[in-house]
Amino acid sequence: MNSLGTYLVIAAALFSLGLLGVLQRRNLIGMLIAVELMLNGANINFMAFNRFLAPEPAVGQIITLFVMGLAAAEAAIGLSIILVLFRRVHSINVERAQQLKG
Amino acid sequence: MIAFFKDPVLLAAALATSLPFLSMATILIFTRHNQRLSASISIGAVTTSLLCALYLLVTLHSAGAPVQYEFPWLLADQLLIPFGYLLDPLSLLMLTIVAAVSFLVQVYSVGYMSGDPGYSRYYAFQSLFAWAMMSMVISPSMIQLFIFWELVGLASYLLIGFYYEKWSASQAGKKAFVMTRLGDIGFFLGLIILLLGFGNLSILKMNEAAQAHAISPHLLTLSALLIFGGVMGKSAQFPLLTWLPDAMEGPTPVSALLHSATMVAAGVYMFSRIFPFYSGSPEAMTMALAIGTITMLLSSTMAMATYDLKQVWAYSTVSQLGFMVMALAAGGYFAGVFHLTTHAGFKALLFLCSGIFIHEYHTNDFREIGRQGGRNLVIPMICMTIGALALSGIFPFSGFFSKEAVLGVLAMQPNRIWLLAGLLGALMTAYYSFRLIFFMLFPKGGIEAHGGRNGASPGHGGHEEEHHGAIFWCMAVPVMILAAITVVLGFSQSPLEHFLVGKAATGAHTLAVEGGGSHAATEGHSPVHYMVLISAVSMAVGGIAWAWLEFGRKKATQEGFLRWLPKIEQLFARRWYLDDFLRKFLDTAIYSGVTSLFTRNDRRIIDGGIDGICQFTVASGRLFSFLQSGMLQYNLLVMIGAVALVVLYFLM
Repeated sequence: MNSLGTYLVIAAALFSLGLLGVLQRRNLIGMLIAVELMLNGANINFMAFNRFLAPEPAVGQIITLFVMGLAAAEAAIGLSIILVLFRRVHSINVERAQQLKG
Repeated sequence: MIAFFKDPVLLAAALATSLPFLSMATILIFTRHNQRLSASISIGAVTTSLLCALYLLVTLHSAGAPVQYEFPWLLADQLLIPFGYLLDPLSLLMLTIVAAVSFLVQVYSVGYMSGDPGYSRYYAFQSLFAWAMMSMVISPSMIQLFIFWELVGLASYLLIGFYYEKWSASQAGKKAFVMTRLGDIGFFLGLIILLLGFGNLSILKMNEAAQAHAISPHLLTLSALLIFGGVMGKSAQFPLLTWLPDAMEGPTPVSALLHSATMVAAGVYMFSRIFPFYSGSPEAMTMALAIGTITMLLSSTMAMATYDLKQVWAYSTVSQLGFMVMALAAGGYFAGVFHLTTHAGFKALLFLCSGIFIHEYHTNDFREIGRQGGRNLVIPMICMTIGALALSGIFPFSGFFSKEAVLGVLAMQPNRIWLLAGLLGALMTAYYSFRLIFFMLFPKGGIEAHGGRNGASPGHGGHEEEHHGAIFWCMAVPVMILAAITVVLGFSQSPLEHFLVGKAATGAHTLAVEGGGSHAATEGHSPVHYMVLISAVSMAVGGIAWAWLEFGRKKATQEGFLRWLPKIEQLFARRWYLDDFLRKFLDTAIYSGVTSLFTRNDRRIIDGGIDGICQFTVASGRLFSFLQSGMLQYNLLVMIGAVALVVLYFLM
């Protein structure tokens, strides 16, 4: 349990799940949640490398905190976009937002 | 700039040429709506120009060498094109002629054009013409001459098409423009060849080089022939002569100024301007002589078959221009220029007189004018007769002296055919001039049917004049001045000759004499000289007598010998089918040949190519737009795939 590899595998799994979710879910809120998963996968990577490899222990944690703040901002913007879209097409299904189709 | 004002000669030259331009600009920009003001601005400008020209003539008439001012204008690598003034006897003489005729015609036009809606426009164009013509006359280089040459063509186009609402007038304007342009292509090519081969287009340098045989003979002949194309266009020489009779669609004062006295003489002027240059090429001179002869004979015959007052004078202008070209090409520098001078006077006189008749009777047909009592206008009738006598070459009038000088030069040619052609031309000239005069003096079968020799009583004429008041006198005074000039000018032959070819400029003359292969006609009083004199006068008198027999005497049928030869009359009246030939030539060779090829190239290759590129772009855009599904997640997938590929690339 104490090796770097384990954390990396978990982080990769989490990231892949998030990617799958973004690509496959038709629900916009679901996609937003999946993006959060991807960000968290990346966060785990940062923490793991910080713990096992970095000479200066604080750097990785600071970056992780930044990413969490970023994720909050992203969720706020994403949700407001979804709200506007809902007013327009009365749905949060991404298939309904196809006005740019060629 | 200070030097500019300190040198009165330069100042006068600059004033003479630039004032008409300023007046044109002022009229077109500011005073279009004030007719009186426009006319006075224009006349004021041309009066100043005339005074400047006279001042220059008086100051410089005894100056030995030509005065030349040059300022650099265009500089490109080794090519330097200067702009400036060249003042020598020839250009001073021509400058004075142009300014004087312009002045008289503009004064005349006050009466002739009164009440015309385009009055201001008319004066603006007159100023444009005066500017272009005077600047052309005193150009020191062929490039500057060419520029103003084209501007003169523009003024001519605008004035011929002055009544542009009239279909025939706008057509005539276009015809004149296109036909002269055809000749100018040759002119321009000649200049370019000369520039490439010789490297300098200064008139003085060209003349010097040709005299010193510094230009290779082939180059000289080629460029001289090409430049002669310009003369053919502008001075209406064969085969580009049919535009001039059509140009009579313009107002009559315009015909007097441009299409008889000054503008059409530009070609002859240019010929004499670079006369020493031409003398270097006997081939070009022979060619010019032949073309001048053909032109003179053809247009004389055309004049015998028309009944349009202005067209008779138009054809006679063409034939007299041919006469001048003949004189110059035969080596008679002075004879050509002298005939140009006298012709400017008496032809302007003839046209301005015709203008009075046309203004009065509203018809161009001289039979009709005669029938309505044209001879009651005593002053114009007398002046017109004086002009016709001068044109025919009868003693005290100016035409006699110049025509005799020209024939004298032709007599010096080894080949007698030129002299015979010249005499034949003189005979026909006298015949058609007096055909017209007799038709107007002794009308048959009209209201004024009785044929008296002395015209109408002066009292009756006086009444007519009073009736027309200021407008009539406005037109009559310039006419009388011109008539006086026509009577006097001939006697100035020897001072003029001294001025033109005396002293410094003898080089050109002696060279011409060498070219002619004999002594100059000017030394005179040889048996040949008397023979020419007698035959010339007898030809003129013979022509008048012939016309008297057919049109003048009491029992005359007024039909003319051409009536018995309908085929030939048709030939003359249709201008030797030159117009038909040109039309056919245009239709077959140009429109259905070259033009259709170009049209096809334009439609198929150029337009087609552009259209093809457009259609390809649109079609490929359509095709690629299918990729845009509008689905957010497909876009994401592609993006992630691309990132993955980049990552893979860096890992490898």
